[in-house]
Amino acid sequence: MKKIMKHPYSQFILLGLVLLTLPYLAEAGAIRNSTVTVIGTTIIYTIAALGLNVLLGFSGLISLGTAGFMGLAAYISAYVTETMALPFELAVLAAIVIPTLLGILVGILSLKFEGIYLGIATLVVAEIFREIFINVTSFTGGATGALAGRPELFGTFRLDRIQTYYLIVVVMVLIFILIHNLTKGHLGRALNAMRGSEAAAQAMGVNIFKYRLIAFGIATVLASVSGVLYVHYVGLSYPTTWNLMLSLDFLAIIVVGGFRSIFGTFIGSFIIFAMSELFLKPIPALANITPLVKGILIIIFILYYPNGLANIKHQVSHWLARRKGKRDAFGQTKTEKKNLTRAEVRENDTV
Amino acid sequence: MTPSKTKELALKIEDVSIAFGGLKAVDDLSFAIERHEIFGLIGPNGAGKTTIFNCITQFYKADSGRIHFVNAKGKETNLMDLNVHEIIDEGIVRTFQNVELIRELSIMDNVLIGAHHVMKQPLLGQLFNRKAIRQDEADSREKAEKILAFLDIAHLKDLIAGSQPYGVQKKVEIARTLMSDPELIILDEPAAGLNDTETKELALRIKQIRETYQTTILLVEHDMRLVMDICDHICAISFGKRIAVGTPKEIQSNPEVQKAYLGEEGELE
Repeated sequence: MKKIMKHPYSQFILLGLVLLTLPYLAEAGAIRNSTVTVIGTTIIYTIAALGLNVLLGFSGLISLGTAGFMGLAAYISAYVTETMALPFELAVLAAIVIPTLLGILVGILSLKFEGIYLGIATLVVAEIFREIFINVTSFTGGATGALAGRPELFGTFRLDRIQTYYLIVVVMVLIFILIHNLTKGHLGRALNAMRGSEAAAQAMGVNIFKYRLIAFGIATVLASVSGVLYVHYVGLSYPTTWNLMLSLDFLAIIVVGGFRSIFGTFIGSFIIFAMSELFLKPIPALANITPLVKGILIIIFILYYPNGLANIKHQVSHWLARRKGKRDAFGQTKTEKKNLTRAEVRENDTV
Repeated sequence: MTPSKTKELALKIEDVSIAFGGLKAVDDLSFAIERHEIFGLIGPNGAGKTTIFNCITQFYKADSGRIHFVNAKGKETNLMDLNVHEIIDEGIVRTFQNVELIRELSIMDNVLIGAHHVMKQPLLGQLFNRKAIRQDEADSREKAEKILAFLDIAHLKDLIAGSQPYGVQKKVEIARTLMSDPELIILDEPAAGLNDTETKELALRIKQIRETYQTTILLVEHDMRLVMDICDHICAISFGKRIAVGTPKEIQSNPEVQKAYLGEEGELE
C-alpha cells in the first residue's frame, strides 16, 4: 500500500479525488459554493502554469505570452461553439491546434532570441493577440467580451457547473500523468540538458531546434487547454483578462511552487490565485493589497527558497535535524547527512 | 594486445584552417589518427587545440580543409557536412574543458543523457509511457550502472551532479561519453584540476577505456607526464600550425617542440 502511494500516478489521482469531494462539502455546507469555483479556476491556471514550467523549468526558455495564448484558445472555443454553433469537441480541437501552431512559430523565434529578449518577443506576440481581442469584435465581442456555454459532450450531455468542475479535475489529473511521463524520461532529460548546457546537449545529439519547438508546443497545448476550460467554466472572456499581469502570475506560480515540480505548480497556483481570492479579498481592508502580498511572497521565495515550496519540506527537516541531533567532527549529525542526501536526490524529483 | 597493429585510419584532418577576425586560430593543420590509438594534441596556451576540437565536432565550421571520419564498418564521412548534434551519430563524442554537466540532475540522469541518440523513443510512446519505453529506460539504466561501476562511482549514482567534487564530475562526464557507444572519444584536458593521484588513476582509466570499449581516443592535455605516458602518437601545434607529429619519444627530443614550449635560445637577451 505504501509503495502504491509512493507512485506519482497514485498521488495525482489522490489529489484529484480530494478535489472531487469539494462540491459535496459545499452541498453539506462545510465550505462556500464560491470556494469550489475559486478552486476550479485555480486548477485551470495550474494547467497553463504547468505548461510554462515545462518551458521555463525544464528547458530554461522564458515566455511572457502565456496569457495571450490562453486567451486565444478561450476566444476560439467560444466562437466555434457559440457563433458557429459547432460541437464542443470540434471547438476544443480548433482551440488547441491553432494556438499551438502559433506557439511553435514563436519557438522558432526562440532560436534567434535568448533570455530576456525572448521574454520581450513573447510579450509582443501576446500584446498583438490582445489588440486582436479588443478590436476584432466580430470574433471576440470586443470590450464587452465573448460568452460561452458550459461544455456539451457528444452533442447530448450539457454539463452543469459542478459537472464542469469534475471535468476540470479529471483533465488536470490526466495532464499531470501525461506531463509526468514526458518529463521523467527521455524528453525530460533532453530539455534539462538543453537548459543545463547547450553545448553538452548538442554534443550528446540533442537537436536544439527540435526540442525548443517541442517545449513551446507543450507549453501552448497546456495554455490552450487551460483557456478552453476557463471560457466554458467561467462563461465569458474579456480582453482585459489576458494581460501581462496574468502571464506574470504564471511566472510567480512557478517561482513560488517550484521549478520542474508538478505538485509545486499546483501549490503555487493555489497560493497565487486561491489564497488571495479566498482569504484576502473577502476582507475589505485587505482586498486591495493582494498584489502587494503576491509581490512580497515572490521576493521571499527568490531570496530564501529558490527551489520553491515543492522542496521546502527537505529544508525544514534539515533545519529540525540541525537543531536536534549531535554534531560529528564535520558539524553534521547523522540524520542531517541522511536528509541532506535525500534532499539532494529529491531535488530533481519532478513529482 | 597492441591495437595500433592494424593501422586502420579513424580520423583524418587535412589542411584545416579557421580564423576569428584577423587571427588564424588553426592554420593549414593536418594530422591523422589510427583506429584504437590514443592520440595526444599538445601545444602552448592559445595554440588552437580546443579550436581544432570544436572544428572536428562542428561547434565551429572550419573555413577550409577536410575532416574525414572512418567508422568501424569502414564507412567514410565528411564531418563538415554534418550538424553539431549529428556528430554523435557517427560515434564521435567529446568532453569539455570546463565540465559541462546538468548540475541539478542526479549523476545517473547525467549519464543517461549520453544515450540520447541511441534511444529511439517516439513522443507519443513517451506520453503514454508504453512498455517499450519503460524497457528502453530500464536497459539504459542498467548500462549506465555498469559504466558507473567501471569508473568506481556507482555508489554515487543518485546524488546531485553539481554537488560532487570536481574529480567525480570529470568522471561523470567520461561516463556520459561511454554511454553513447563511442568509437572516438575526444577529451579536452581530462586532467585539468585533478591532483596527482587522480591523474594517475585517469591515465589508467583512459587505457582501460580503450581496451574495454574498443575506442580511439584523442586528447588535449597540458600534463606532459600524462600525455607521454599514455599516448601512442602526439601532434604538437603552435599558433595553429603543426610543428611535429610522432611518438612521445620523438616529440620530447624534437627541437621545434622545445622551442615552442621553452622559447629559443638567446631569445631573452
